[in-house]
Amino acid sequence: MLLAGTMSAAVMSSGEKVELKTAPFDARFPNQNQTRNCWQNYVDFHRCVKAKGDDYEPCQYFKRVYRSLCPNAWVDKWDEQREEGSFTGKI
Amino acid sequence: MATWGQLMFQDSASPLMEQLIFFHDHILFVLILITVVVGYFMIAIMTNSYINRFMLEGQEIETIWTIIPAIILIFVALPSLRLLYLLDEVNSPSITIKTIGHQWYWSYEYSDFNELEFDSFMIPSTDLEEGQFRLLDVDNRLIIPMENKIRVLVTAADVLHSWAIPSMGIKVDAVPGRLNQLSFFSSRPGVFYGQCSEICGANHSFMPIVLEVVDTPSFIKWVSAN
Amino acid sequence: MTGHFHPYHLVDQSPWPLTAAIGAFGLTAGLVKGFHNSNFNLCFIGLFIIILTMFQWWRDVSREGTLQGLHTNAVEFGLRWGMILFILSEVLFFFSFFWAFFHSSLSPTIELGSCWPPVGVDAFNPFQVPLLNTAVLLASGVTVTWAHHSLIESNFNETSYALLLTVMLGIYFTILQVFEYYQAPFSIADSVYGSTFFVATGFHGLHVIIGTTFLLICLFRHTLNHFSSNHHFGFEAAAWYWHFVDVVWLFLFVSIYWWGSCLFSM
Repeated sequence: MLLAGTMSAAVMSSGEKVELKTAPFDARFPNQNQTRNCWQNYVDFHRCVKAKGDDYEPCQYFKRVYRSLCPNAWVDKWDEQREEGSFTGKI
Repeated sequence: MATWGQLMFQDSASPLMEQLIFFHDHILFVLILITVVVGYFMIAIMTNSYINRFMLEGQEIETIWTIIPAIILIFVALPSLRLLYLLDEVNSPSITIKTIGHQWYWSYEYSDFNELEFDSFMIPSTDLEEGQFRLLDVDNRLIIPMENKIRVLVTAADVLHSWAIPSMGIKVDAVPGRLNQLSFFSSRPGVFYGQCSEICGANHSFMPIVLEVVDTPSFIKWVSAN
Repeated sequence: MTGHFHPYHLVDQSPWPLTAAIGAFGLTAGLVKGFHNSNFNLCFIGLFIIILTMFQWWRDVSREGTLQGLHTNAVEFGLRWGMILFILSEVLFFFSFFWAFFHSSLSPTIELGSCWPPVGVDAFNPFQVPLLNTAVLLASGVTVTWAHHSLIESNFNETSYALLLTVMLGIYFTILQVFEYYQAPFSIADSVYGSTFFVATGFHGLHVIIGTTFLLICLFRHTLNHFSSNHHFGFEAAAWYWHFVDVVWLFLFVSIYWWGSCLFSM
């Protein structure tokens, strides 16, 4: 349950080594301001899906990253904007 | 947590806070040096009776008292810059936590796992139980695994806030529309307290931050249970 | 003159500082009051008092300088430096708007779509009316210089024509800007593009109107023979101010209209 659709590869059972994983450092965004890191991954995911279709597994990487980085309220707002056609990013 | 009459820092709970304390001590050492030397000069000048009515400049002494402070400033600046860049460093964090400041509470999102998000309100003084800290304890603590590199992304939903935990040596402004990144490493388990550090309105003083550091298996257990 | 042995102008007692203060207080208090209850009467009264004060105070200044001969070389030296420092402060005023513009446009935020002009903003074509405006202002810079040289050569008629032409070019510029604003497909509320655009060009427009008025006053004073070939600092100050407004426009045109309208995205 813990692992489904997540960045985390954490596994816990008795004596086993526990490993947690999240979105890695991205050299394009080396600064404290990570706003565009979140946004770029959101846009990249939707571009990827648009180009390759919903079932293309590698696209999910972008989704995991943006789920990890973006505040949920931002994602909800952008999803709404995409539906209305008022999202400013080019997808 | 800071206690009554405490003048010095809280005990550090992260390597970077240790470095910050070392830096603070280093600076105090420099300050003592300067105070003693300048104090000696002042007293010496005021108590002696040597007067030179025609001295308008002294190139040698001016050169010396320009270069020596410059060298001292270099000894202050270099460790300061080293620390500044160390504090900004993020290398392969194990989890990302999103912190959102609201008027007037913090909310936390763990999205590396199945979506886990909750609000963290201060416990009102009237509802405190034995052993809880007034104006400092919250209903839902931020829980993290110890000895792990943590990335915190801070933003705000309404006005400016600032998310801070002194014993971890971390503080970052929460700005609406902007994601500020911060990373830290907790070296020991425990409960650590902080407070909103940017005036954010009427209840600015009543949105504390409580960080509970647990071992990784307990953390996984907690995440799985929620 | 009687009793003093220095070249400086010790001003007489005057009511205008007091009326200016009353007007300024009425203007600010009236503005705040207007924001609260949408009634701007006090604000307009304050503005009216200030305009009245300006008219009478400067009328007094030109009487002192022209008719009473109180503007000696030493006084004129002070007036020149006063005008230079005033224009310098105006340069810094506009510098802040350019700073805001470049701050916002060089790294456009995600809300704008990470591009400039922002998504959904149709910028003006800089080579239509804005280019015409550039030509108009440059031409007015030429005519004001023509007026100055005619004045130095004591050519009354050519000074009048050139000055009138300058004022008319200033009015033409303002009219063009009014039509441009009227047709603008974006407003001051349309993102930071609209904000920086209208605040910067709006304040420039205000300065054009002030400069035109200044030149118009010079034209009236010229018809009253206030200016001699070697003593006409009022005119020179107006010309300096006009050139300053002209230069600000060139920067506005090149940065905001031209460079700022070329679509780029990150």
